[in-house]
Amino acid sequence: MTALSLSLVVPWAAGLLLTLLDGRRRVIGWVAVAALAVNLGALVALAAAVLPDDTVVVTTGDWPVGIGITLRADALGVLFALLSSLSLLAATVVEVLDGVRERTFPGLVVLLAAGLTGVFLTGDLFNFYVFFELAMTAGYVLATYGGGRRELGAALVFTTVNLLGTFIFLLSVSGVYHVTGTLEMSGIAARMDDVDPNAAVLIAVGFFVAFSVKLGLFPFHFWLPTVYTGARPAVAAILSGGLANIGAYGLLRFGGELLPDELDLAAGALIVIGGASIVYGGILAISRRSASEMLAYSAIGQVGYVLVAIGVGGPVGFAAAILYTVVNALNKTLLFLTAQMRGAIVGAAFAIGALSVAGVPPAAGFVGKLELFRATADDPELIALLVLGSALSFVYAFQTYQYDFWRGERTGKRSTLPQQGVVAALALLVLAAGVWPEPLLALSHAAADLLAGGGR
Amino acid sequence: MNLVFALAAAVLFGTGAVLLLDRDLVRVVFGVVLVSQAAVLTLVASGLSRGAAPIYPLSGDSIADPLSQAMALTAIVIGLAVTALLLALVLRVVQAYRSRELGELAGQEAERDARLERLHEREHAEEEAAAR
Repeated sequence: MTALSLSLVVPWAAGLLLTLLDGRRRVIGWVAVAALAVNLGALVALAAAVLPDDTVVVTTGDWPVGIGITLRADALGVLFALLSSLSLLAATVVEVLDGVRERTFPGLVVLLAAGLTGVFLTGDLFNFYVFFELAMTAGYVLATYGGGRRELGAALVFTTVNLLGTFIFLLSVSGVYHVTGTLEMSGIAARMDDVDPNAAVLIAVGFFVAFSVKLGLFPFHFWLPTVYTGARPAVAAILSGGLANIGAYGLLRFGGELLPDELDLAAGALIVIGGASIVYGGILAISRRSASEMLAYSAIGQVGYVLVAIGVGGPVGFAAAILYTVVNALNKTLLFLTAQMRGAIVGAAFAIGALSVAGVPPAAGFVGKLELFRATADDPELIALLVLGSALSFVYAFQTYQYDFWRGERTGKRSTLPQQGVVAALALLVLAAGVWPEPLLALSHAAADLLAGGGR
Repeated sequence: MNLVFALAAAVLFGTGAVLLLDRDLVRVVFGVVLVSQAAVLTLVASGLSRGAAPIYPLSGDSIADPLSQAMALTAIVIGLAVTALLLALVLRVVQAYRSRELGELAGQEAERDARLERLHEREHAEEEAAAR
């Protein structure tokens, strides 16, 4: 309970203070890192209390239950919060070591951590929207980081498209309130059965569009490559490893827990869109020469797997979706951070990340792909699709490795040892999750069992 | 009453969507503002009861649903902050590109991409020649 409050209050207060200070000073950068570390520590403590299948519920301001806003930590929320916090911490350490260029950067990252933690740990629908907007607003400003023309253009596209997404989300929220009369997620799930199916489908479509924009799925992907290649590597890592998790979490939470019948109805469409994302992202990633462009298109392809797994549904499908989101966020954080670094350790870290994206053992990506195959085992077409996607990702990942590291096309100054150390630590984590996957597997199965559809 | 709300929200959303597709960046911002207002109006309309102001009901009459009004207020505040941010962003973009037309922005980016593409092609051709 204290851990839950701490994990929200510390980054929120620290973020507010830090935005007032000059973030280009090294001390301020390290204070931000400390705040993120406290956030991560509190989440670990919370995870220890929650796992494997407990739930911590706090009603804010000591209001009676049903009136105050509820914060709720369960296995799914804690897992995503931990993951995002870790990704933010790694990216911030790398950027602080490199030298922060704008005064607001450390404060914004910490505020983003507060927003993300809130999104994953809230039990109230409107509160979800508020934290969502807090995280996204920090993300909009972060996308301008670096201040060049490209960053600004990319940030403008990112902001406009995502604002449209959030307002569509808000429309669905008001729809849910009108048809169920409650904003509490557990209450909504119970009352959704009695709702007119037509209204429920409309609401579900609104949520789906909002979260797909966030994830960058195939027909909603158009903003993504500009932003991820325009932004600095640390920011791209934060956006793809931290912020994009909201999309996957939203689809799982809203689809799996609140609107399971509508998710069933849309299963075919989800699989088609996911498949299109896999093929589109994979093919375009192959045609790219620079690491960050390749990664941007690869991000579109990789979330396709998550969507296919959600479409398959059931305990195995949801578990595969959760596991793959975790693995993908780790991969993307690692690879985006290495995108402009140089050095021997960076090369090795990139190779591990590339192996993981392609799904080759012993990297964590293999476990993710294995779970996906398990989820789709009855369906030869889907297995063919996954194999095709994996083959494409193998080609693009190692093609970039070849250009950048074998032929040494990457220029610029060598990265310092501490920076290389951070990516090495991330790479070791990816390796460890692949070599000893049991904890991660158990976690994702525990999280999947929480979802209503998981009981089927 | 519901129909009036629905029509008003639909008109706002539709106008906003049209403006969002415009090439002028300032109009795009107005589009976002209108879409946000459509969402706020829908929030107000989603209230479960209508009647007197919920601040201190004296009579036994029905009162308006306070929760949807609280949500609408929060959404208005967030919309204001986000609009301010978006306007600041547009200002920076206009200063950087010296234009507020989306077409010109895209043109300048496309030029840059084409330059990169030519550079890569030349490098590739040189490598091929060296290999032979």
